[in-house]
Amino acid sequence: MKNEQFNNRDISNEYFKVDIEDYPTDPWGKFTRVVKRTFRGELFVGLWVVMREMIKFDTHTISYPMEKMPIGPRYRAVHEMKRLWESDTERCIGCGLCEKICISNCIRMDTKIDEHSRKEVSEYTINLGRCIFCGYCAEVCPELAITHGGEYENASEQREHFIDYAGMLTPLDKMKAGTQKEFEGFGAITPHEDERVKKTPLAY
Amino acid sequence: MSNLINFKIDGISVEAKKGETILTVARKNDIYIPTMCYISKTTPCASCRMCVVEAAGIEGFVLSCNTPPTQGIEITTNTKELEKERTNIMKLYDVNHPLECGVCDKSGECDLQNKTLEFDVERQDFSARDQAREIKDWGLINYDPSLCILCEKCVHVCNEVIGDDAIDVQFGGYSSTIIPKNSDVLDCTFCGECIAVCPVGALVSSNFKYSANAWELSRIPATCAHCSAGCSLEYETRHSAINGDDSIYRVKNNFEYTSLCGAGRFGFDFDNKEPKDEVAFHKAIEAVKVAKAIRFSSMITNEEAHILQLLKEKLDIKLFNEDARKFQEFMRAYSSVSGKLHHSGSLDAIKQSDAAIIIGSRIATDNPAVRYALTTAAKHNGAKIVYAHPMEDTLMQNTVTQLMKYEVGTEEGVLALLANAILAEADADLSDEEKEVFDDLDLGYLYAESNIGDEEIDFMMKSFTRAKKRVLIIGNDLIAHKRSENIAKLAAMIEKYSSFSLVVVPSDINTLGASLICDLDKDEDIIDVVGYNAKGNFIISSLAYANLAVPSLNQQEGTFVNIDNKVLPTNVAVGFDGYTLNDVASACGVESENTVDYTNKLNKKAGFKDIDFDSLENFLSPHGDDNRGYLLDEVTCKADGKLDEIDDLPEFNGTIIYHSNPVLQFNAYTNKTAQLERDNTLRGSAQFASAAKIADGDRVEVSFAHKTITREFKLDNELKGTVALNPTFDDVVDASRYRFEKSKIVRVV
Repeated sequence: MKNEQFNNRDISNEYFKVDIEDYPTDPWGKFTRVVKRTFRGELFVGLWVVMREMIKFDTHTISYPMEKMPIGPRYRAVHEMKRLWESDTERCIGCGLCEKICISNCIRMDTKIDEHSRKEVSEYTINLGRCIFCGYCAEVCPELAITHGGEYENASEQREHFIDYAGMLTPLDKMKAGTQKEFEGFGAITPHEDERVKKTPLAY
Repeated sequence: MSNLINFKIDGISVEAKKGETILTVARKNDIYIPTMCYISKTTPCASCRMCVVEAAGIEGFVLSCNTPPTQGIEITTNTKELEKERTNIMKLYDVNHPLECGVCDKSGECDLQNKTLEFDVERQDFSARDQAREIKDWGLINYDPSLCILCEKCVHVCNEVIGDDAIDVQFGGYSSTIIPKNSDVLDCTFCGECIAVCPVGALVSSNFKYSANAWELSRIPATCAHCSAGCSLEYETRHSAINGDDSIYRVKNNFEYTSLCGAGRFGFDFDNKEPKDEVAFHKAIEAVKVAKAIRFSSMITNEEAHILQLLKEKLDIKLFNEDARKFQEFMRAYSSVSGKLHHSGSLDAIKQSDAAIIIGSRIATDNPAVRYALTTAAKHNGAKIVYAHPMEDTLMQNTVTQLMKYEVGTEEGVLALLANAILAEADADLSDEEKEVFDDLDLGYLYAESNIGDEEIDFMMKSFTRAKKRVLIIGNDLIAHKRSENIAKLAAMIEKYSSFSLVVVPSDINTLGASLICDLDKDEDIIDVVGYNAKGNFIISSLAYANLAVPSLNQQEGTFVNIDNKVLPTNVAVGFDGYTLNDVASACGVESENTVDYTNKLNKKAGFKDIDFDSLENFLSPHGDDNRGYLLDEVTCKADGKLDEIDDLPEFNGTIIYHSNPVLQFNAYTNKTAQLERDNTLRGSAQFASAAKIADGDRVEVSFAHKTITREFKLDNELKGTVALNPTFDDVVDASRYRFEKSKIVRVV
């Protein structure tokens, strides 16, 4: 790997100094600045910008909730439980590591032996009222079963209402349609994010 | 010459006693030698070869677990070669071991996992063709052969400590497995000790399987409440499901040094789940205030027995507990000859003994801990075990060296014969009066009536000649016997004048404690009796049909006195939201904030010490030293008792039943548990069936002593003779009666 990109410390072509007058120090200078600011009509400059953009219909605002920003894969919102691609059965093996590692003690699960004498999760809850969305549960999961999804809209009368096991599992129709979103890993970045990346002024 | 062998381990000078191996000495001196198959309470399995060490001047490696040291030898426990050898062993253990640690029931308490990490096995140099191995369902126990590492701990424990000898290794190189011995399915007493010692998740409890992880469970050190052994155990509790209250998930024990029977291990869910009932509480207070007597069972803590005694004194009422009263009378008679309050023996004494007589108890089901101690003595010390009882017991056949079958009811005569032989051998310095009793013995009559041959006694004495540590174990048949006082005096004579120590087996967990604390009255059939876990007009109980619900013994803190005369603390495993006996007593004028405030006030005259409950310890040290509770102080008393002449031996003719519980059942509490089998049939031999004219599966009416019960009859091929076994755990029979009973059996059509 070459270090050239870091060696270029010339930032002049992208950044420039703005022309700012020196601050007045004497009383007269201060007085004239106040008078200038008061009567210059800068207010209308701002109003004009708004008017202009309104006419141009070039809005940058996102009209939430009709429109939503794509959420980054690293974003840690409400948990999801994934299914196996091969069999559509749940990935969770009931090892209990998420319950153990949870630092806010909000995960509780109950397991039992099922008819195929395998370990089965019979109950699973996450108390979102306590969850601090640290992501440890997803990090410790040996089966990539529990992950954080992109669902950040947690409006309910009680946050605890939010999560039960069935609600977290990928719905079967989604599974059949093959649209279960895989967790891309902890270093994953938002799609097309590299196009929006700007060079930082500090080379290191 | 001193018995100590001086040698060096890793340059440290150490001493070994006779019989100690290099490994035991190393452990005693905190020198670490890794092992996989070693377990302190059995003889070394020597199957893992992990404990290899090097000895100076000796070619090759030495197995430290079964090699005694020689004088001056220098042992090295840690060299490069040893490390390589051990790592290779670990690699071999890891061949094809399923990587299902995530769901394995060991959940990290795994020896294989620990050692694999310890030896840093990160690469596998060995391989073998994997095999399909089916998981076996053995009832309460599940066996997964693919997880098994063939350390053979289970087999050794089953054979050497428990005495079931129910499992074996099927040798076949890589396809070796553990199999039920001489049977397709596991046929044993289901003590579950094999589960406890299994270092991996091969043998697991089928009830516990996949229900919780080890790290979620909180451990509560307690004392088993089912029989008088008072074994140490840990209840492991967790919230049930995701929102439920705490409940007990499993029971564990310190398997390195102690054992548990199946009732202790699987019969843990006898807690009382009744809700709080204030109305009943006020009724209970009224009932106690007007009561003429309180009847209670021996499933009680010392503190509560003390409360009852205080209530007796305060309200001037009577206390009924036939079981403890009979024990009390027996021990009183014993003390009147021996001059001390407590019997001298203990379970440890039995374990270390090289000769033991067990009389008047079907011990394998009455007190499994005594049976395990006897098995240990027989297998490890080659002890001679004489089993004197009118009925054979197949569970004891691996342990017992001599069966002495006597006629039902002749216990006094049998003990007189034993005492006569033992005292003659010991050349005891008897008083004139005592001598007279023995001189007057009509040996011919006793031999004839008890049906014991003099050659049997001679054989026993001959086999005992070289024995130094002898124990006489006395069971409930002698305590509940009509002539129990004289029997107790005979037992005291044996203990006093010979090398025998004496163990009297109390029937329930705190029979002994209750007998030391309470002044008991002879039970009368009167009204206005409050029952505490017993029958009465108003019943305060932790069982069903209670007028006021109180906590069970696993929901209480307090102490018990066990067979060793040890005061053992127990703790609250699961909570109880209601009233206790202490609340009722406090409302009746015997006030105390907590029940355990009485722990340091228990009867000092009986040997209890002035120690607070909170300062009692309940653990075993890493070297196996027992730090549970405290031993009762020895109390001397007046030895003014006189041995009576032996009475005419009673005859029991006709159909006889023996009150004896099936394996793993003891009382109404074990009856309550989910996992333990409830076999409440009348079990008898083919001979009994033909004599009583009944067949397998018949419903029969059994009448004895003004009482009639209906039971199903089950033909049991392991039984012999004309006595049938009638269980008492389902609480239809007062278990304190003399256990042999003349009865009438009629088939119900």
